[in-house]
Amino acid sequence: MSENTFPHHDSSHDSTSNRVAIDSRAIDASVRLPVLVLFGNAIHWLIVATVISFILSIKLIAPGFLGGISFLTYGRLAPMARDLLIYGWASQAALAGGIWLMAHLCGRPLGTIMGGVLHSTLLVCAAVLWNVAVLLGTLAIFAGYSTGVEWLEYPNWASAMLFLSFLLIGIWAVLLFDRRATGRAEVSQWYLVAAFCWFPWVYGTANLLLTWKPVQASAQGPIQSWYCGSILALWLLPVALAAIYSLLPRLLGCHLNRRNLATLGFWMLLLLGGWNGMDRLIGGPVPAWMTSAGVVAGVLFMIPVAIVMINIFGMGRNPGNLATQSIPAKFLFMGVYSLLGVGILGALSSLPDISASVRFTGVTEGKTQLWIMGAISLPLFGVMYEAVPQLLGRDCWNATLSARHYILTIVGLWMLVGIMVLGGLFTGLALSDPTVSFLNITSYSYPFHLMECAAQLVLLAATVILGANITRALAADYLLNKKTGN
Amino acid sequence: MHRLPTLLSGIFLVFLTSWLGLVAYPVTQLGRLTPVADPETGGTLPAVYGGQALAGQRIYAMEGCISCHSQQVRQTSVTRSDIERGWGTRPSVARDYLRDSTAFLGSRRLGQDLSNVGVRLPDAKWHYIHLYHPSAVCRGSLMPAFRDLFIVRKIQGQRSDEALDLKGADAPKPGYEVVPTAEAKNLVAYLLALRHDYPLPEAPVKKAGAAQAK
Repeated sequence: MSENTFPHHDSSHDSTSNRVAIDSRAIDASVRLPVLVLFGNAIHWLIVATVISFILSIKLIAPGFLGGISFLTYGRLAPMARDLLIYGWASQAALAGGIWLMAHLCGRPLGTIMGGVLHSTLLVCAAVLWNVAVLLGTLAIFAGYSTGVEWLEYPNWASAMLFLSFLLIGIWAVLLFDRRATGRAEVSQWYLVAAFCWFPWVYGTANLLLTWKPVQASAQGPIQSWYCGSILALWLLPVALAAIYSLLPRLLGCHLNRRNLATLGFWMLLLLGGWNGMDRLIGGPVPAWMTSAGVVAGVLFMIPVAIVMINIFGMGRNPGNLATQSIPAKFLFMGVYSLLGVGILGALSSLPDISASVRFTGVTEGKTQLWIMGAISLPLFGVMYEAVPQLLGRDCWNATLSARHYILTIVGLWMLVGIMVLGGLFTGLALSDPTVSFLNITSYSYPFHLMECAAQLVLLAATVILGANITRALAADYLLNKKTGN
Repeated sequence: MHRLPTLLSGIFLVFLTSWLGLVAYPVTQLGRLTPVADPETGGTLPAVYGGQALAGQRIYAMEGCISCHSQQVRQTSVTRSDIERGWGTRPSVARDYLRDSTAFLGSRRLGQDLSNVGVRLPDAKWHYIHLYHPSAVCRGSLMPAFRDLFIVRKIQGQRSDEALDLKGADAPKPGYEVVPTAEAKNLVAYLLALRHDYPLPEAPVKKAGAAQAK
């Protein structure tokens, strides 16, 4: 391994820290402001999204809640919450984590790529543009300018802003890789390069054909499903996997074995990721071969998932006792477990017989939640907990708050997904029986919606604690800098 | 694979497979489907939306109806329940969406499928009352009330023909009436235009007798 272990704020569990040859302080200093701006804003969108999700869950048990206010109907709040989770939180945290990881893995401070302090200013401007786009897009959905395309509800000018902002940020990741100071690239760097190339392609294609200059609607179904699958499996998941592959061995102080297998996993994910979304259209108005390909991809997706399992659990050190791990390692491990859940749930629900009853139920929603809040968000939390102290140059987290955030996130997530899947199975069975009336099914699902509401409340508590933790850290840093006159 | 150009070419080639299959193919094949002639009316199938229905489609998009309602009847090889529930007489095919600006396929059924709502529920008055207060006509419905699509106004002279026949607690004060706004009329025109019960070459409609025999 030619690259260095990232220096840790707490190097007690890091036996190789004396091997540090690259000035990681300079790297952290060069990305400090943009990465903190991206992480900070990502968390505040996460809080907004969780509040809205909680309101949505109340609306399912009391449809009259906040009734009579046109911009607070379920139909407007639901896409707002989902888009905030995808673009406000996950994509933004992936940008932050991706840039930070890439700079460290490549051993280059950003400034040495193009020189000067311009890069930092440029990145911060791009980050601001991203957040303005998310804000305006969200307000546009509020005000009734939604495009009505699932996961792409932002009006075309807002999505164009997001696209531009991404290019301005993503180009740095690719440049860093090209000019890296380290020799052989590791698989996490491949994942990052791939992710930063895929987003513009996937997002650009989907927006061009669905919202900017829509194609005839008869062709839109497959493109919509391709987008939903790709944005998760080819943009967000690769960043999460890069975090898992690069940080976990370093945090545990051991080496990644079976690198060839990891490489195979990379290409498999690449190949299957795009087809994976087609299970959203099983039995739908598309040529049969497309959904068949989706079924195959859904089942085969277990292979890259299994490869991640083999790689991570074959690292030589038994990670069995999670309780003794640091918070970042815990989040990364839980991300790996969630990925396993996503793989199993995805494979099962893409089988035509199962899909037939559960496709339009909570199972699909639970799977999406496990993707976004589990396999993607948990590793991103891990990166954030690891990166922010290094960027600030001191251990800035409140240990109690971090521990509570971790526990509540895991409990809330598994509760939510479990209830959604269970409720989905019940409604799915009832929906397959035409003698059970639709309104009857709605009344069956009431207890599940009630428990969903409780789970959302737990997640909301977790998110608020995270917000408090990071606000506290950044405020303390601000005061400290003010005192020392920086 | 350790140099950027090599890695990028690899990524590009592998990624191209799903792009060709799920983006390029639909655009060049499904995107070129054309309407077929309707022997009964001399028009085309699927029928062209009227101006009101077209405007209503915008309302459908902006209110996020797709969050809870799908618009697709699934293939009978996968499930018969969509047809048995009365959501359509035949599975939906790509050509059915030809006249839409956006294909509102949907991914969740918190509410019923709407691909044939114009056939199932052809009464505009029913839709107005349902939009104004869903659980008044569907007890236990999760649908929110869309009061913003209606105006409560003082009756000037004679009660309007468009006024909703509301009962019980929903009824306006004496001397007042509840009438749909232009948006509500457009939305309902769109809902009533959602009819995919016609036969297409790739999706024939079985005779009612044959369906009952099953």
